[in-house]
Amino acid sequence: MIKEVFVVILLAVGCFFFLAGTLGLLRFPNLYARLHALTNADNLGVGFIAAGMALYIGSPWTAVKLFFIWILTLLSGATTSYLIARFRKEHDDSANGNGK
Amino acid sequence: MELLTDGLLALLTAYLAFRCMLAPKLSKTVFTFFAFGLILALMWIRLGAVDVAIAEAAIASGFMGVLLLDSLRDFSPSYSEFEDNIEQPPNQVAFAKRSLSQWVPAIASGAGLLLFLFIALQAVREVPAGGGLAAFAEAKLPESGAEHPVTAVLLNFRAYDTLLEVAVILMGLLAIFAAGGIRQFRKPSLPPAKDPVLRKAILIFTPLLFLFGAFLLYIGKSGPGGAFQAAVLWGAIGILLHLGGWRIFNALSRRMRRIIIIAGPLFFLLTGFALMARSGTFLAYPPAFAGFLILIIETLAAVSIAAALTAIYAFLTD
Repeated sequence: MIKEVFVVILLAVGCFFFLAGTLGLLRFPNLYARLHALTNADNLGVGFIAAGMALYIGSPWTAVKLFFIWILTLLSGATTSYLIARFRKEHDDSANGNGK
Repeated sequence: MELLTDGLLALLTAYLAFRCMLAPKLSKTVFTFFAFGLILALMWIRLGAVDVAIAEAAIASGFMGVLLLDSLRDFSPSYSEFEDNIEQPPNQVAFAKRSLSQWVPAIASGAGLLLFLFIALQAVREVPAGGGLAAFAEAKLPESGAEHPVTAVLLNFRAYDTLLEVAVILMGLLAIFAAGGIRQFRKPSLPPAKDPVLRKAILIFTPLLFLFGAFLLYIGKSGPGGAFQAAVLWGAIGILLHLGGWRIFNALSRRMRRIIIIAGPLFFLLTGFALMARSGTFLAYPPAFAGFLILIIETLAAVSIAAALTAIYAFLTD
C-alpha cells in the first residue's frame, strides 16, 4: 500500500515535469529558453517516471535497466540540446556579422 | 482504462499521419514523421508485436528518419546547389487549382486502400478457430531451432521470405548507387562534425550500441529481437562514426566492402541450396543443426545489413 502511494507520487511528479516542459516548449519566447524547458522534461521527468516504474516492478535487475535508460536519455538529450543551441548561436552570430 | 490508452494512441496515429502529410514545410513533415514512427511503435507494442515495434522504431523511424533528414539538406538554402529545390516559405507557395484529372488517381488509390482494408478485415474474420497456422507453428517450435515463435517463422518456416527481405536491402543499395551516379541526384557532401562534444558522445554510444545490437541478435532466439533489429543498431554505429568524421566504411578496400555487404545474403542463399541438395527442400534445416545455422545466418545477415545501411549513408553524404 505504502509502495503504491510512493509509485503514484513519483509518476505524478514525473508527469508534472513533462507537462511543465511541454508548456515551456510551446510558450517560451526563444530557442534557448525552450531548450531549457525541454531538458527539464527529459532529465527530471524521465528520471522520476523511471524511478516510479522501477519501484512498481520491484525487481532490482529491471531497476538497473531503467537506470541505464535514464542515463542514456540524459546523455543523448544533453548532447542534442547543446548541438541545437550551438548551431543556433553560430547561425545568429554569422547573421549579425553580415548585418554590419 | 486500456480502451482509453488504445483509443488515444489510435487517434494520435491518425492525427500525426495527417499532420505529416499536410505540414506546410518539409522540415515539419520530417519531424512529424519521427513522432509518427514512435507512436506507431507504441501501437505495435500494444498489439503484442514487440518484434515489429523494435523494427518500426529502429528502421522505419530511425534509419528512414536519418535518410529523410539528409534529404532535407537538398532543400536548405545553406547546402543546396540547385536554386529550384529551395523550399518557398509556406505563404508564398501558390496553390494551383487541381483539375479533375489530378483528383482521379488520389480517389482511386483511396478506394483501393479501403478495399484492401476491407479484404484484410474479412481475412481476419475468416481465420479458423485454431488461429490459422499459429497452432501448427507452435507445435513445430521444438524442431525449428528457435524458442521464439516469431524467429522460428522468420528464419525457419518462412526463411525464404527473410532471404528476400535481406536481398531487398541489397537491391535498395544498388538502386541508390545507380541513381547517385546521375549528377542531378548527387548532393553536396556533408562536412564531418568537428564538435568535440558530439564526437565524445559518439564514442560513448558506439560500444553501447554494439553491445545492445549483439544482445538483440542473441535474444532473438528466445524473445523479441533478431537480425534486422541488431543490424540497424550496428548500422547506427557506422552512421554515427561517419557523422563524427571517422569514415570507417570508406577506409575499407572496395573488395572488402563488397564481401561484407554480400556475405549475409550469399551465405543464406548457399545454405538454402546446400540443404536443398541434401533433403530436396529449399532451406529445410535439419532439426539438430537448426539453432546453430539460424545463429550463423542471423549474425552474417545482421553484419551485411548494418554494412549496407552504413554504405547508403556514407554514399549519400560523401
